[in-house]
Amino acid sequence: MERTLSRGLAQGVGVECCMEFQSSIWWKLPYRYWVKLIQRSFVPPYAALDAGLEAIAAGVRQIVLITEGMPPLDMVCLLRKAETTETLVVGPNTPGIIVPGQLLLGIHPTEFYTPGSVGLISRSGTLTYEIARELTLAGLGQSLGVCIGGDTIVGSSFPQWLEILDEDEATEVIVLVGEIGGDSEEAAAHYIAEAIDKPVVAYVAGHTAPKGRRMGHAGAIIASHISELGTEIGTAASKITAFERARIPVANYPSQIPTLVKKALRLLTKRSSS
Amino acid sequence: MDLLEYEAKELFREMGIPVLPSQRLDHPKDLKGLTIPYPVVLKSQVHMGGRGQVGGVKCVENTIDAIATAQTIFNLPVMGEYPKVLLAEAKYNADREFYLAVTLNRSVRRPILLGSQQGGLEVQKSLHKIQHVIVEQQFSPYYARRLALKMGLQGALIGAVSAVIEKMYQLFVQNDLDLVEINPLGVSAGGDVMALDGKVSVNDDALARHPQLVSRMTKLDNQPLEGEPSAVVEIDPEGQIGIVCNGAGLTMATMDLVYQAGGKAGSFLNIDGETRWDSSPTLLKQRLEQGLEQMIQSQRIRVVLVNLISNLVSCDEVAEVIAGFLNRRVPTLHTLSDIRPDTLIAQATKTPWLVVRLVGSRCDRAREYLATAQMPLVESLDEAVNLVVSRVQ
Repeated sequence: MERTLSRGLAQGVGVECCMEFQSSIWWKLPYRYWVKLIQRSFVPPYAALDAGLEAIAAGVRQIVLITEGMPPLDMVCLLRKAETTETLVVGPNTPGIIVPGQLLLGIHPTEFYTPGSVGLISRSGTLTYEIARELTLAGLGQSLGVCIGGDTIVGSSFPQWLEILDEDEATEVIVLVGEIGGDSEEAAAHYIAEAIDKPVVAYVAGHTAPKGRRMGHAGAIIASHISELGTEIGTAASKITAFERARIPVANYPSQIPTLVKKALRLLTKRSSS
Repeated sequence: MDLLEYEAKELFREMGIPVLPSQRLDHPKDLKGLTIPYPVVLKSQVHMGGRGQVGGVKCVENTIDAIATAQTIFNLPVMGEYPKVLLAEAKYNADREFYLAVTLNRSVRRPILLGSQQGGLEVQKSLHKIQHVIVEQQFSPYYARRLALKMGLQGALIGAVSAVIEKMYQLFVQNDLDLVEINPLGVSAGGDVMALDGKVSVNDDALARHPQLVSRMTKLDNQPLEGEPSAVVEIDPEGQIGIVCNGAGLTMATMDLVYQAGGKAGSFLNIDGETRWDSSPTLLKQRLEQGLEQMIQSQRIRVVLVNLISNLVSCDEVAEVIAGFLNRRVPTLHTLSDIRPDTLIAQATKTPWLVVRLVGSRCDRAREYLATAQMPLVESLDEAVNLVVSRVQ
């Protein structure tokens, strides 16, 4: 389904273009070009900004940044440019996007996924595979798997993907996998309550993570907002409260997710039959 | 990671942010060479906050007084941290104290400028009074002026304060910082401003491209540089379970599961590496091997849960590493072919330190490899967690 157009746009930055894929989701995106940046041993994190800017200059309007460890201020520069050119940036620090059976833009291991109707959004890599596997084992296939990235400053947001999945015909239920750090889960909970019609099931990792410690993701850290002031932000408890307030069922552990998804599906059938 | 106050102030001075004359003291006797006239303020240089409340900041009037006080401060821990250095600084009579900061806001994904007329210790009590300006596009001095105006400043203070903010922003961008904070910014009766205390946090990911910053930093004892992979992290001194995982999210989820099942994790290792630009199967396998060796060094850790989802490295390759590790540990088990199979199984289940959970490609071959080391392979995460917890209880 995906065809490699060109490799190494210039100066050996290692850019791969893929186009002409057929998935209902992609037609709503403004351009049909996707770029896979920095695959594996391609561009070091300090060259990611340049590679991203080059891709935008070359007319690429969707970028997946796989590499981790890009300095946050470089990401700010890239986003300033991306926003004025309406470029969607996924990542950095992400395995990318998978449409099971159809498309892989990144490094998701395909064996855990199967085509179906659950949209999976997360901030991490292997935990997403774990949950995809749980869903697959429970007979629940996925319409899309996307990780917005584990770094502090990331491009695409939970609300953006929630909107895409809400409009996607193949998606019936959305699973949102959050983790400690930042306030993207709180923002997502708020957005779901306001704008999402499809049922959402949430899970948050990091209840027992030690405070102020980096767990591997630059973005997964419970920290005071500025210096020693203010209340702690980014705790698992705060995120779960936000989901509960928005009446979104929260799984206590990964293997509970399929149960909650099935429950949501049953409610959907009941609603449509009545 | 945070710089110490004196390190931050060196950066301020180079950038042209007004700071008081000061001198670094490595030892109380350094006070004999003090060139700043008394009265002088002696300040404990620690990473921990709250030094003022415990007596880590003292004003002294003469050399005798200073040496005695310096002695005391050197021996005074602030939240458990002893200072290696003191800062001797000229005394400043501030008429008012402001709060200023430049930091990154994750939600708006932009740097923000923060400021308040209620600085110093007051800032905690009046958080709602802190004004902010988002630096949407390329920085220009008007962002700083806008903050000064939002803070309610008037007259010459607008220019004086916005000049400081502008320099803070330059420092922030030039050094890829997470935070530049001045609290308090002292304002004299005559309207002069002075950075009385400063905090600078560097960004771990960007640090490698700022060698000049690394060379001037004092690292905390026993604290590995954040972001450094493959180090076993100690978490709970009472925990007897070690966790070896790949990926931050999975590591956290696994730790949560262990606690939910009634266990306590003592340390964890995130092999990570999936999205590192330079990662290779060889590197990841090496990290796993070193991590396992490192983890069982601890007397406290009784069971290690290895929970890996393979992607870059297939299951059988992981299993090979684990089997190799186990066989090195129990070299005799192999040669005891004359022992009845059930004895062997009993021996294997007694092996105290590992529960292996692997999923991914070539899992069957992994199972075979592990069988050579009498190690069962668990596929269900819940089952693996329960097994681990039941072994420590």
